[in-house]
Amino acid sequence: MIRTTATIVIAAALAAACSKDGGAAAGGGTGDDAVVAAWKKAGLEVSALTDADAKAYSAEGCRSGTVSGVDVVLCKYDTGEDAKAAEDPALTSLGGVTGAAIAKGARLLVVADRRKADPTGRTIDAITKAFRK
Amino acid sequence: MPKRTHILALATVLVAGLAGSAAADKKQFRYVGIHPIAKAHGGGFCHIEAPHVHAYAAADVKVQYRDHDGFQYFVGDPVAYGWDGPKHAYYGHHPVPVHVVVGDDHEDTEFCYLDGAHYHAWAPPADLKLVLKGDAYWYMGDFPKAYVEAKPVYDPIDVVYKPIVYERPAVVVDVAPPGWYGLVVAAPAASVRGRPAAHVHGGAVIEAGVHVHVPPPPTVRVEVGLPSVHVGIGGGVIVEGGHGHHHHKHKHKHKKWKRRR
Repeated sequence: MIRTTATIVIAAALAAACSKDGGAAAGGGTGDDAVVAAWKKAGLEVSALTDADAKAYSAEGCRSGTVSGVDVVLCKYDTGEDAKAAEDPALTSLGGVTGAAIAKGARLLVVADRRKADPTGRTIDAITKAFRK
Repeated sequence: MPKRTHILALATVLVAGLAGSAAADKKQFRYVGIHPIAKAHGGGFCHIEAPHVHAYAAADVKVQYRDHDGFQYFVGDPVAYGWDGPKHAYYGHHPVPVHVVVGDDHEDTEFCYLDGAHYHAWAPPADLKLVLKGDAYWYMGDFPKAYVEAKPVYDPIDVVYKPIVYERPAVVVDVAPPGWYGLVVAAPAASVRGRPAAHVHGGAVIEAGVHVHVPPPPTVRVEVGLPSVHVGIGGGVIVEGGHGHHHHKHKHKHKKWKRRR
């Protein structure tokens, strides 16, 4: 019950923040656009990416959304080393959820299959491969 | 402080709390590369090649996986678990260039101890001395000390595959490259469906159902031991005791062979 209430508060808070700040805090821009284009080219369905909590990933900015039913977060860092260093804690934060966290350049991609939409990992594989290209 | 900032601060604290709680709720297991999915979690095969996590532990982890920077890397035959992606046939033991397969820069060469014909999803890099003959790769290089030392731990991997019914690659031992030395095994009946019967030449009929064509001298060594048979084809092989594989004189050095306990 407490967790459900907390989740609602978080969702409301993030929605409120996103609706006013737009992309100001995001790691968006052409980098994210290129990744989204690569996902679409791979035949994946990409939702709109909205600002996400960057502090949770120690990033400069993050955006989140879904790709073919799988949750994704794209974060931007000052350096490639920072992005690489964020891989391990991002993986740890996934807990028992199937997912991945990989850095490329100064960006980090975190993928989480919270709804078990991808039991064989084909979608996550396509998402991570397109990101790495 | 604006109201929105308060809400965001609260959200951050709750996110962190929930993440910690979730992590504590379920244990996490790290993998790199494709691997079988635990039966309790649906079975089948995980296609994620990048480093990733699951809630389940690897089955037969002692013989089927190797540690690569804290991630479990599957060294077995993926086809046995329903892999329908690209596959390449191998015969006998051989090195596994984990860093090449997973695409990172931490050089890590492990060994596959599967006997006889089997599959992997990766094709070997050119410098690995795996010769393609008869639609299968045969390892023609040297096995280092690390391979021999780890053999007691990893060699029992074939026991895992014994009860699994699947179509193994049809490899006729006759086509083994000259100089190849290894273990010739009888494929299970279920795995030889549609495969033409092997012919016997030179009178070397060994074990039930295993027919091996042994080319004429200069040197042929045949070790017969149950349940398997070691057959050396060609010259210049030195046989180690027991189930040991061949040792040519060292002609090249590998940059790094991982040592095992």
